[in-house]
Amino acid sequence: MRDLPTGPALLALARDVLLNQLMPLLPPKAHLEARLVAKSMAIAEREAILGTAPAPGILHELEELYREGDEDKQVLLHRFARDLRVGAFEQGEPRERDAREILWRLTIAKLRNANPRFLKANGFS
Amino acid sequence: MAGTGSPQSEPRVPGVAAEDRRTTLARFLAAASGAHAVEVIGLTPLRGGAIQENWALDAYFSGGAFSGEQRLVLRTTAPTGVATSLGRREEFAVLKAAFAAGVTVPEPLWASDDPEIVGKPFFTMRRVEGTAAAHRITRDPALDPALPAIAEQLGRELARIHTIRPPRADLAFLAPYEEVGPTHQIAGFRAYLDRHPTPRPVLEWGIRWLETHIPPPTEPVFSHHDFRTGNYMLDGTVLTGILDWEFSGWGDPHEDIGWFCCKGWRFARLDREAGGIADRAPFYRGYESESGRSVEPRRVFFWEILASVRWAVIALQQTDRYMIAGERNLDLALTGRRATECELEILMLLDPGGGASGA
Repeated sequence: MRDLPTGPALLALARDVLLNQLMPLLPPKAHLEARLVAKSMAIAEREAILGTAPAPGILHELEELYREGDEDKQVLLHRFARDLRVGAFEQGEPRERDAREILWRLTIAKLRNANPRFLKANGFS
Repeated sequence: MAGTGSPQSEPRVPGVAAEDRRTTLARFLAAASGAHAVEVIGLTPLRGGAIQENWALDAYFSGGAFSGEQRLVLRTTAPTGVATSLGRREEFAVLKAAFAAGVTVPEPLWASDDPEIVGKPFFTMRRVEGTAAAHRITRDPALDPALPAIAEQLGRELARIHTIRPPRADLAFLAPYEEVGPTHQIAGFRAYLDRHPTPRPVLEWGIRWLETHIPPPTEPVFSHHDFRTGNYMLDGTVLTGILDWEFSGWGDPHEDIGWFCCKGWRFARLDREAGGIADRAPFYRGYESESGRSVEPRRVFFWEILASVRWAVIALQQTDRYMIAGERNLDLALTGRRATECELEILMLLDPGGGASGA
């Protein structure tokens, strides 16, 4: 049980103070750094809400792909990367499509954290 | 690479006072230029250049061919860098070759490896006016009407760069094309990913595609290897200089075209495929008219995929400078996040129409 406001709420407020109250007082040469600070706070806020690990659903899909439920999730992700390197999914259409779907979902989930604006600019909600 | 860098103090030789340093630099400039004497009036850091440090150097030359006040840039190496970039002496030789080929670059002047002058190797060049700020260039509506013509001019500039062909005694330090071509680059990407703690499945998938789609060999040309918006200077609508030659070397002519057009370098205008400033047509037209060769879209496509992989790896390496080398720089710390943007582009190019399940 933590006191309120929550960490993400404090980050959002602090970011607002930085951009709207402090930024006008800073010399122009410090604006870029201030924006980078604000960007970092926004990422930290989103990660505090959404978590830093790939979405559990995606990891479950990996388990489905390999039909293995007891392997460590990170180990599975490493194995997936190694298999993609050697073209392990190129032999059959369903598995190749499944692998590609996981790549998409993984990437979109990461960008929701890191840069949702970029995601939107590319036509993804 | 463009970037913000961290606040810098004047380049220094350990144990040597700033005043003595300026005197040593002034003596070097006098000897190199044939002046009777040189006074260093100003030496202040310039923004941009996450891998190199650039300093605005103002100096008064008494006598010699440069007599009077000169506005120069002193370029030296940042505390940590990217392993594949050229040293300053080599970059100086490259800049001279480009200048001689008629490329719009700041005139290179003098170089030194003597650590007693500024503490590390450096070179000097004329300072050109304008801005290289990519977000400003791609966002400023006042520039919009001029941008297609600028894209066409950049195409011509690139074609001039590509007139430099091997063998060149003055560029003998450059690795032969066989050692820097796509096969070698693919091996380099994989070697890096093997050392990286986090698996990158999309990059592995993209690299696998590259490996199975390498285009037939072509005659190599001298390539800038970082020819993009952010690395040229505009003074209003006038192109004043192509910058940052530290990654240059022999390459496929389509490599620079793919790099210029890849989404990672379109900044505020993802829809303008030539560097965020125009459609591809004027850029290609400028290149073709100057070079007399046709741009081959299939080859550009290959190099554009490779560009996204390469930019992703560079972005991760930039963040390694914070994570591993301990360089406390927020810009570098954040750059690695951009790797996932490149991964999205790889997916969009190689699996058009995909991604509905993740949206």
